[in-house]
Amino acid sequence: MFAKAEGLLRAMIGDQANFRPGQWEAIETIVSKKQRVLVVQRTGWGKSLVYFLATKLLRDQGSGPTLLISPLLSLMRNQIDMANKIGIQAFMINSANRQEWEVAEAALSENKCDILLISPERLNNERFQKSVLPEMAGRVGLFVVDEAHCISDWGHDFRPDYRRIVRILQMLPKGVPVLGTTATANDRVIDDIQHQLGEGLIILHGALDRETLRLQCIRLAKQSERMAWLVENLPKFHGSGIIYCLTVPDTQRVTEWLKRNGFNAEAYHAGNDTEIDRPALEQAFINNEIQVLVATVALGMGYDKPDISFVIHFQRPGSVIAYYQQVGRAGRAVDRAYGILLSGTEDDEIQDYFIDTAFPSIQSMREILDALGRHETLSFDELLSKVNIARGVLEKALKLLEVDGAVGTAYDGKPLYFRTPNPWQPDTERIERVLALRRAEKSQMQSYLDHNGCLMEYLLRALDDPQPKPCGRCANCRGKGLSRTVSHNLVIQAENFLKGISIPIQPRKRWPFGLFPEQKRVIPPELQNCPGRSLCYYGDAGWGKLVRSGKYSDGHFADELVEASLRLILHQWKPGPSPSWLTAIPSRRHPDLVSDFAKRLASKLGIPFLPVLVRTEEAPEQKTMQNSTMQARNVLRTLSVIGNVPSKPVLLVDDIIDSGWTMTTTGFLLRSHGSGEVYPFTLAQASGRNINP
Amino acid sequence: MILSSDSQVMLLLCSHLGLSSDPDTAPFTLHDWNPLARKFQTRSLRPGALLDLSEQDLASQLDLSNDEAGRISRLLERRGSLAIELERLESQGIRVLTRADENYPLRYRQRLTDAAPAVLFYAGNRELLGQPGIAVVGSRTVDQVGQDCAAYIGNACAWSGSVLYSGGAKGVDSISMKAALEGRGTAVGILADSLERAIRVPETRAALMRGDLCLATSYSPNAGFSVGAAMGRNKLIYALADYAVVTASDVEKGGTWAGATEALRANWVPVFIVDYSDMPEGNRALLKKGGVALPYPFPIDFAKFPDWLSAQAVQNKSKPTQLGLF
Ligand SMILES: [Zn+2]
Repeated sequence: MFAKAEGLLRAMIGDQANFRPGQWEAIETIVSKKQRVLVVQRTGWGKSLVYFLATKLLRDQGSGPTLLISPLLSLMRNQIDMANKIGIQAFMINSANRQEWEVAEAALSENKCDILLISPERLNNERFQKSVLPEMAGRVGLFVVDEAHCISDWGHDFRPDYRRIVRILQMLPKGVPVLGTTATANDRVIDDIQHQLGEGLIILHGALDRETLRLQCIRLAKQSERMAWLVENLPKFHGSGIIYCLTVPDTQRVTEWLKRNGFNAEAYHAGNDTEIDRPALEQAFINNEIQVLVATVALGMGYDKPDISFVIHFQRPGSVIAYYQQVGRAGRAVDRAYGILLSGTEDDEIQDYFIDTAFPSIQSMREILDALGRHETLSFDELLSKVNIARGVLEKALKLLEVDGAVGTAYDGKPLYFRTPNPWQPDTERIERVLALRRAEKSQMQSYLDHNGCLMEYLLRALDDPQPKPCGRCANCRGKGLSRTVSHNLVIQAENFLKGISIPIQPRKRWPFGLFPEQKRVIPPELQNCPGRSLCYYGDAGWGKLVRSGKYSDGHFADELVEASLRLILHQWKPGPSPSWLTAIPSRRHPDLVSDFAKRLASKLGIPFLPVLVRTEEAPEQKTMQNSTMQARNVLRTLSVIGNVPSKPVLLVDDIIDSGWTMTTTGFLLRSHGSGEVYPFTLAQASGRNINP
Repeated sequence: MILSSDSQVMLLLCSHLGLSSDPDTAPFTLHDWNPLARKFQTRSLRPGALLDLSEQDLASQLDLSNDEAGRISRLLERRGSLAIELERLESQGIRVLTRADENYPLRYRQRLTDAAPAVLFYAGNRELLGQPGIAVVGSRTVDQVGQDCAAYIGNACAWSGSVLYSGGAKGVDSISMKAALEGRGTAVGILADSLERAIRVPETRAALMRGDLCLATSYSPNAGFSVGAAMGRNKLIYALADYAVVTASDVEKGGTWAGATEALRANWVPVFIVDYSDMPEGNRALLKKGGVALPYPFPIDFAKFPDWLSAQAVQNKSKPTQLGLF
């Protein structure tokens, strides 16, 4: 069998190829012994080769197709092409390629599919269960679980769906081999996986060192300093690379800054920006048509571009495991690559936010179960209109409750959620454990920043590499590295850039579900707002910090903010037909804060400030309203229009925009009372809901 | 839910889990399974041993034709989808029992022997299956008498701590179950179809969660209604109870008639027939076939109904049978 496997290997990747240490061992354990194997090897070692060859050998023995479960299928196209070289037919089923499902089903029913790639959530999908599984008559010849560290709570990106995979593997009768693969798992993660998948699991653990990688850490407190550093140092790197940021707005700002400075850079994230075509960006980056990809962790697991020569972190990631996985993308097929960690003052704040919002509150979970318990089934929108929980949190909570077995899903054109009869208790112990781990990981990364020994050795030790030793390549081993200082001029330019960018406010076109149950959800176009602008992200670099101190410490917005707003409106935005009057969202809690700012802005613009809006009752703070229906209802209930509303275009001013429902409903009120076009303007946009990758 | 390999094999061979509704290789019916189970017994094998046998070994060790061995081997191949299906069911609150399970209801083993279903799916409190109780049987459409009977028996069960057994269908079944559960009694519904849907009804779900209810079926949890299944599960209602009450039956036709005559023949439990002046023809005929009369209006307060049943019942002559067939 070895000779046959070697022949296949050479057909796949070339006449001279030999197995790397561990590859044949893994294949043999799967194919001959039908056992369960966990392969821990760095990315690029050739895990896919193991499961492709094992699949081929098993299929030739008459086994059923391999079922490969991976969270990132979009990145596997090139691997599928590789499999085709040894006559393996691979098919993929995910939520984005419904049109290809029938092809895959047909191939399965004719036994022509050798390997089926699915995302973890497919396992619980009704169509998958009702049409795909029966087509393969359940003959799974081999289970492959990609990114197996997700099985463990101790893994850095625990995914609820993986708990489901574990239960499936626990119920799997013997005789079906299982292969788990991961590039990043320390001993604790491996022990946990072994505990969950059974003592029979065989671990094949390789060395994780990447011998081409040169590591360095640089602290630069301000964003503007790090942006200046990028402009000064990027030209020193050859080839292409990735800059990782923690938030979507950061990727956008850094990209824009780099473009202005003549770099070929693009932003990559999973925010709700419709202009981002991630597969196209991935392809362009692989083809080296993009030099710098400025990405969130959305550019994640499994992305395999061999010739990445640098990975720079604009902010500090949450854990060594996450950092090593990201930095380890560099230097696979190049002789020399750089992994530079920049770190600033905002890092802790952002990491704490991620930790604090990692789990929906127990109260939210109970609220959801109560609402579902009163009904047979509810659609997502129906459920959302019955609970005071933000859309994103509801999605996360439902996923957790589903994996807990407290909520089930049925399909009737769309997913319908229902309460199962399984009991549910919040697993506070588990939550505490995970949160404590996240905090420990955070401090382990903080120590990495200031470590003065070998940086690679530090990382490998943290990952329980079998043989960590000083690398001789990192900035600490060599005693030199890239510059830690930046030119003052460039920093000033970056600061001006940060203050000069504005953020669009997209008008909403539909009412939230359930707000006006008897009416259409479309807002009539003549009652919608025009596109608007915000000066900055709240609390961020640029103007964001000044807005925060104005709102929460000074009780007054500085004149600098009036000037900046004026410049933005007159020189950058230039709304037309231009607004001929101005009004502001009133607040009973802080009656003067916004109106005082609005009056100063109106006088600078040379247009009248008209207080036509009043609060009829004290409204609960909009940010305590967690979803669209509740927010829009809150505004409509507490706000009304008095006096004469001019039929001319109006600038509608508020301090911070969050969900946008205050602006949408107020604009709707103004237009219903006869005003002209409504242009929303706010000092800041809350980045909280936007911060996720 | 960690299943023994014996149960895994029984699910692979005897259930539709992971198969299409019209699969190329049909799973085993009881008629197919029982002879195989006997072969295990004479060879001192457990069903789980099948997981380790190749198709050739199957044929030689169990003395099977190549066709039979091939069929078993193909059914056993779907281990992967079995695991996926079981996980999905469990996460919805549905669990399984097989004849290889020690928790499998003893009354089925004793009373039904070979006819005991190989596989049961259930939600809720499994321990209710086979606890002392009264089965109620009747039609989906009920008149005033039917409603009275259903409510009376449901109340009697709640009051006396007996389990109310029914088919979990509309009419007599649901009225009696509602009465029993509202009185904080317990109930078991043996469904012929749609277990997955049934457990989503809010009141049902609440009773399942309290542990007051168990819904079970020998058919796939997502099976649609079929007359055959509705007939086939009748024996599963009778065989769990201590007494059965038939409220109304057609004569020589319909599920109630078929089930009641079967129960009278098999003599699993005393079968009471509601007896009143303008009762349906079927009731009259069942009384002639050995049914015990239950006069309507009822002769006694519902609180004392179980004692009354026990006094009236002709001694149940069913003899204990050998146990242990998978
Ligand atoms: Zn070093």
